[in-house]
Amino acid sequence: MQHVAAATPAAAGAHHEEHAGFWRTYVFSLDHKVIGIQYMMTALLFLFLGFTLMMLMRWQIAYPTRGIPGEWFALLPAVIGLAAVAVGAYSKRRLTLLVGLLFGGIAWLVWWMVSDETLFPEGIMLPELYNSFGAMHGTIMIFLGVVPLAVGGFGNYVVPLQVGAPDMAFPKLNMMSYWSYFAGGVVMLTSFFVPGGAANSGWTSYPPLADIATTGQTVWLFGMVFLITSSLLGSVNFIVTIVQLRAKGLTFMRLPFFVWAQFVTSFLLLLAFPPLEGAAILQLMDRLAGTSFFLPSGLVISGQVLDVAGGGSPLLWQHLFWFLAHPEVYVLILPAMGIVAEIIANNTRKPLWGYRSLVYASIFLGFMSFIVWAHHMFMTGMGTVISTFFQTTTMIISIPSVIILSALIISLWGGSIRYTVPMLFAIAFLPMFGIGGLTGLPLGLAPTDIHLHDTYYVIGHFHYVVAPGTIFALFAGIYYWYPKVTGRMMSEALGKVHFWGSLICMNGIFFPMLIQGLAGVSRRLYDGGTQYAHAQNVLQWNEVMSISAWALALFQIPFILNFFWSMKKGKQVESDNPWGATTLEWQTPTPPPHGNFTSIPEVYRGPYEYSAPDAAKDYTPQNVP
Amino acid sequence: MKKLFRAVCLTIISAGMVTAGDVTGKVSFSGAAPEMARLRMDADRFCRAAHKSPVTSEEVVVNKNGTLKNVLVYIKGSVGKHSAPKEKALFDQQGCVYIPHVLGVQTGQPVEIRNSDNTLHNVHTLSEKNPAFNAGQPIKGHKLTKTFEKVETFKVKCDVHSWMGAYIGVFDHPYFAVSDDNGSFTLKNVPAGEYTLEAWHEKYGTKTLKITVPATGKTTAEFKYPN
Repeated sequence: MQHVAAATPAAAGAHHEEHAGFWRTYVFSLDHKVIGIQYMMTALLFLFLGFTLMMLMRWQIAYPTRGIPGEWFALLPAVIGLAAVAVGAYSKRRLTLLVGLLFGGIAWLVWWMVSDETLFPEGIMLPELYNSFGAMHGTIMIFLGVVPLAVGGFGNYVVPLQVGAPDMAFPKLNMMSYWSYFAGGVVMLTSFFVPGGAANSGWTSYPPLADIATTGQTVWLFGMVFLITSSLLGSVNFIVTIVQLRAKGLTFMRLPFFVWAQFVTSFLLLLAFPPLEGAAILQLMDRLAGTSFFLPSGLVISGQVLDVAGGGSPLLWQHLFWFLAHPEVYVLILPAMGIVAEIIANNTRKPLWGYRSLVYASIFLGFMSFIVWAHHMFMTGMGTVISTFFQTTTMIISIPSVIILSALIISLWGGSIRYTVPMLFAIAFLPMFGIGGLTGLPLGLAPTDIHLHDTYYVIGHFHYVVAPGTIFALFAGIYYWYPKVTGRMMSEALGKVHFWGSLICMNGIFFPMLIQGLAGVSRRLYDGGTQYAHAQNVLQWNEVMSISAWALALFQIPFILNFFWSMKKGKQVESDNPWGATTLEWQTPTPPPHGNFTSIPEVYRGPYEYSAPDAAKDYTPQNVP
Repeated sequence: MKKLFRAVCLTIISAGMVTAGDVTGKVSFSGAAPEMARLRMDADRFCRAAHKSPVTSEEVVVNKNGTLKNVLVYIKGSVGKHSAPKEKALFDQQGCVYIPHVLGVQTGQPVEIRNSDNTLHNVHTLSEKNPAFNAGQPIKGHKLTKTFEKVETFKVKCDVHSWMGAYIGVFDHPYFAVSDDNGSFTLKNVPAGEYTLEAWHEKYGTKTLKITVPATGKTTAEFKYPN
């Protein structure tokens, strides 16, 4: 990464860190850009760990009676780790070295687990370990991977730049938010090592099972408290920054859509997470303090009546959980839509179609997301009146989603499309999110949900939205903003290999899930359904999906290599704005110094003035009068 | 002098060798044998195929000679100090039933829990004094070795196959037995003395008898169930 000498602070509020040592500059920094990178690197590592857990699970699903070749699964992170350590040591780059060590840690964790005969007798994953991996895969991917990357990483780095601010409104809160996330991650990782292993009651942590589960569940709950606190701190910061620190002339309707997306996302986090944090504390009390918030009276477990106070309700947890977790899925998708919007406008060289529609749809989506949660609970015995309410709101919420998707698709029409790697990922996001969204409709209608609930169809649906949906958008964002952060371009060739391989493999993994789900194969089956008569005709898809997953892992190698190699060897940017973009983050030095802007920016125009008829160039930055 | 010393030693040794006796007996059952429910194993193809004829519950097994099988008979309370035997007790899962249905072990004795079936079982102990556990055994031949350190009798079940159930009795001495296909039991080498002999049955509960074990020979005892 280039080191630019800190510029003279351009605006009030910039902090003086020119002479801060290593720890204050790179570890305990107050600079939103450093914090954003910290979030990004930590989240990418957790994404890799969560993916590794799934790769192990996929062996179990595809070959339930064959021992796992653990050394092959440990090999990939080990090779990446060794390469990064070697590069880092040779070029004296501490970040690369650290990342290499962490990849090595993942390799060691995999090797240690797979070699343990009590966890993998004859190499076969025990069902309880499968449950643990499943719960932790979901938790890690959502709370430690995607959200920190999308909001903590991209949001932190880009939002202050795009609003023309020198930093976030509360830099210390920002730093606390990262370290709270980090602490939550450490706590979650330690849960693998406690007696009984990590949490195994699903990422949804339903009582009564979660209330009586092994110790790992308690550790999970503590971890969640840290992670939720991190999100709450961050969301306050984002909202205040966007409201208060916009540059002169940057009205709300001149904000880049990415900022709007992060703005709505922050409200979702702020309002939806507290019930879950409260619920997590209640569940902790059930497990540790003898309370029965979620335990009913007379509960019989294994033939014995549970000796608890009783009087609680397992359904209460479900309400509290899904009250967060439904807005959470919009937290997962909105930043991604924001990223895709930026990249589409930039690579079509024309303004986004329907900017106001996009904005209003996002706000409406955010509002609606709070009143659809019980569509996750259609099978809990709810009455038809309340079920009708939630089906209706769920159908209504698809309208803003479709408006956003349609606006993005229509934005392509008539554009001078540049098929850069970020654009490839952004374009692919559209049909993938489309499939994800459409497959959600039968789940949102109770009659069809009766058949599909808790089947692989659900897993296919949400993975289409999050994996070739959000994660593709996040990849797009990395390729897009990498030149601003590092001053170098990532390799287009490696990027295209990464793109095409990932696209094909993701469909290979998640499309058959829709088939299996329609056939009735339940989720969370450690042997992929071999015990069930109704699964026999679709069992062959397990191997296809697993091979696709392992191939997907291999196709991430070009990305990881590209990411680290390009930092030093990538083609240097010829200007501070290599993509010819209009938004403010491209109007700063590369990389942006402390305080971001060399002079206080003033905004004169909207965010997407591309190909304006009378303009000298095919783009006009926002801060050009 | 040497002769006197040898004679005293021999006397002491012989005295130690002959102060234990056996307790034998049977557990009889009066009245008509209750009809046991058929175990429905249809949910698992392997279990269904493992039996050519219907399998019934082992909750009450009345032998052909009118005696009761699977009654745990033991000396109630502690009987001196005994180290844990090294020999493993086998607790097997065959044809989706536990074998044996009732197992007696000593505290600290290793119990090998084996899955001899080509299907997933999980062993879930419902113990209260000993730490309960719930372990999956997905493959045929999978073995798990556990020890129990506290005296109690508890149920073991399989969460995959709801009809499976068995009992393990843990004792801090070796003087226990389970009545067999003839309703008989034998407790070997019980030190001479007066004891309470207890019988435990999963449905009919416990019964006790006062017995006196002689320095040599046998003592017999009979338990009558159900009343």
